[in-house]
Amino acid sequence: MAAPTGRTLLGVARGWRRLDSLWASSPRSRRLSLEAAPSGSRSPWRLLGALCLQRPPLITKPLTPLQQEMADLLQKVETERSLYSDHELRALDEAKRLAKKKADLYDDDQDEQGVTLAQDLEDTWEQAFLQFKPGARVTEADKKNDRTSLHRKLDRNLVLLVREKLGDQDFWMLPQVQWQPGETLRETAERILDKLSENNMEAKFLGNAPCGHYKYKLPKAMRTESDIGVKVFFFKALLLTGDFSQTGKNARHVWVSKEELGDYLQPKYLAQIRRFLLDV
Amino acid sequence: MSGTLGKVLGLWKDAVSKQAFSLLRFRILRENPICSAGGVVMRSSRHYRTKPTHGIGRYRHLVKVLEPKKKKAKVDVRAINLGTDYEYGVLNIHLTAYDMTLAESYAQYVHRLCNRLSIKVEESYAMPTKTMEVMRLPDQGNKMVLDSVLTTHERVVQISSLSATFAEIFLEILQSNLPEGVKLSVREHTEEDFKGRFKARPELEELLAKLN
Repeated sequence: MAAPTGRTLLGVARGWRRLDSLWASSPRSRRLSLEAAPSGSRSPWRLLGALCLQRPPLITKPLTPLQQEMADLLQKVETERSLYSDHELRALDEAKRLAKKKADLYDDDQDEQGVTLAQDLEDTWEQAFLQFKPGARVTEADKKNDRTSLHRKLDRNLVLLVREKLGDQDFWMLPQVQWQPGETLRETAERILDKLSENNMEAKFLGNAPCGHYKYKLPKAMRTESDIGVKVFFFKALLLTGDFSQTGKNARHVWVSKEELGDYLQPKYLAQIRRFLLDV
Repeated sequence: MSGTLGKVLGLWKDAVSKQAFSLLRFRILRENPICSAGGVVMRSSRHYRTKPTHGIGRYRHLVKVLEPKKKKAKVDVRAINLGTDYEYGVLNIHLTAYDMTLAESYAQYVHRLCNRLSIKVEESYAMPTKTMEVMRLPDQGNKMVLDSVLTTHERVVQISSLSATFAEIFLEILQSNLPEGVKLSVREHTEEDFKGRFKARPELEELLAKLN
């Protein structure tokens, strides 16, 4: 679980964060105002905030064969044990009356059956049902394996990865941005959201605490006294609406599920990220 | 004469027999450990008040008597904040669905998940069912015809002292395991939520209106 990492993170964060909090009625609007760290004792680690934007699953996973069998069995047991509903009682009643009518050939008294029989109702319902077309579970993007589209793998969590340049090389990573003094790390993550999408992607942050971290040292050539390495803190957000405008092979972003992460990320980075990615 | 003799003799016989009987009992008691080892204990002595084992099974006097709690216990809505570790007060998780079995089974899942994750579940209750009649306007004619009757079922799981760092993960689990057709809503517990569960009392309201 990511809860222990969260706790150790807070231990790290306490060192450079002070709490002068303004209390509001709901926990979401509590803000922590920060002091910029005095320039004399600046930490040699560069701080980055990163955003783990997830699209939650839209449909449930299909049942495994065992689950399907069990479900069928339970359904059978339930139908056998259940009592008749109003509609079924009415249908049985009318069936009996019809049979009696046929047998007796001429029965005036029981002619007040009403205009619509239960059978007619069932027929109309059946017609309406045939007209209904449910959406496809396996979409076209699935078939084409177009990873930049949001419409694939509707039963899984999809995470956004972007391709960025670090030094000379291009790396796939979660979108990240440098922390600026005077803002919380969560605000850094929200800034990423604005920067990423020109067309308003709305995401919901579930909490103020980061869900994971990654730390790496810069290559020896670039290391100086005041710049040893980089610490990245990840924040999770759930995507509500919106998407990137450009899709296709040239896009610099990709929506992947947990298994496909290995195709894109570096091993150490991947190991740290997998710890906080939840998969149903 | 003979009668008294007889009595004396009888008494003497009784005394003898008692002694013999006690000797016999003594022997039987000695033999008891052996036959109790076999499994079935043949009790030959009752627990009389004079016996040392009198009242051996008594425990009621040791158990504390709990007063039955009155049902109208009011829970104070509070948000516990402990430094950087925030904790939510009382939260209500509302699960709404048209299908009752689905709502109930998911409420059951949430309850068991909370038990497993050691989140305290205060209460788990159901809100009254709302029935909706769907009327449809047919192609011919102006009169609205009854199409179907929809029942909305709501189940509430009330939890307390959820830490903010964990709340994020918990909410994500809830959301990703949500079945189709169930609406999830997590809110803080308020007075209106509490009062909404009670039935409306028209006589009381009438009297109050008369007073004002």
